[in-house]
Amino acid sequence: MNQERKKHLMPRASIQFRLLRLLSVVLLGVQGQAISHDLPSGKEGQRRQLRLPIEDFSLTDQTGAPFRFHTLRGKVVVLTFMYTTCPDVCPLLTANMRRVQENLTPSERKAVYFLSITTDPEVDSPNVLGSYGERHNVDFTNWSFLTGDEKSLQSVWKVFGVKVERKARGLVNHTTLTALIDQKSMMRFGYSGAAPDPKTILQDVRSLLR
Amino acid sequence: MLIRRLVLLNLLFFVILGCGSSERMERNYAQRCLGCHGGSGKGDGPVSASLPTPVPDFRETVQRRSVTQIRNIITQGRGIMPAYGPALSGAEIQDMVFVVRVLSQRDRSLEWWEKFEPLVWAHCSVPWEIVFGYDEPGEEKAPDA
Repeated sequence: MNQERKKHLMPRASIQFRLLRLLSVVLLGVQGQAISHDLPSGKEGQRRQLRLPIEDFSLTDQTGAPFRFHTLRGKVVVLTFMYTTCPDVCPLLTANMRRVQENLTPSERKAVYFLSITTDPEVDSPNVLGSYGERHNVDFTNWSFLTGDEKSLQSVWKVFGVKVERKARGLVNHTTLTALIDQKSMMRFGYSGAAPDPKTILQDVRSLLR
Repeated sequence: MLIRRLVLLNLLFFVILGCGSSERMERNYAQRCLGCHGGSGKGDGPVSASLPTPVPDFRETVQRRSVTQIRNIITQGRGIMPAYGPALSGAEIQDMVFVVRVLSQRDRSLEWWEKFEPLVWAHCSVPWEIVFGYDEPGEEKAPDA
């Protein structure tokens, strides 16, 4: 952060950002993974390869319709966690996923699905998620934004090791994770950090499609 | 006479809008806007460099917009800017409008805000549109945030 920027940041804000960073360090310690919700540092974050079976879950999509994860069996799923009033990393995650979606060929689009799961069900109703997707110009034909009751979402967050901490209404700290899941519902790649490289994700998607 | 009117209008505005505390305004801005817009509205917040589109300098755009238009942008979002309507109360949104208007003045920043808090109150609670009666800006331009 340069001197000019420092000058404009008031002390309370600096403390807040430091606390956010401290929280990410705590999360790192707890999980032993470089997955954290932190302000973008300009780095891409980390990419991990793994084999984690993802159990079925049911949530509600942006149209208000029930959504079952296992209906996506046979497709490669790019999944991320976000909330619509997130003031820092979530817009970057959504923008990056959109770049991946845009760069898929028509045949690849049929074999790939995108999921954005909220970390703030208090605010993120289906309507709110739908408007968010529209503002980000996503193509809803292979992208769903999911919400649900707190209990259902907590079990999904737990599966992916996502920690969620409510700070105020519409303000949530959460682990930053983008997951790539194969056709057999096995999580194969995990990308941490605010801005995983869309090119890397696209390459990994294509490697799973082969 | 004019001063008395201004004071009355000022007080009326406080009552009607139920303005929040200056600290709450500042905190809300710091938590929800500063990351992208920066401490002075230049669009140089710590997150701005990572965004796919540049963050506009709202000190210029706010001058061209009415209070209603600014409130609508904060409430409904614009481009990748979040829509705060579902998360914040009307009073909190109004607070944000005030902060944005204060920062849009020349040489204003949150640093200035902290130094001259009473002036901020006085300034942002005056319905300048009513006092000076200037027109609502015309059609809005394409999304710029």
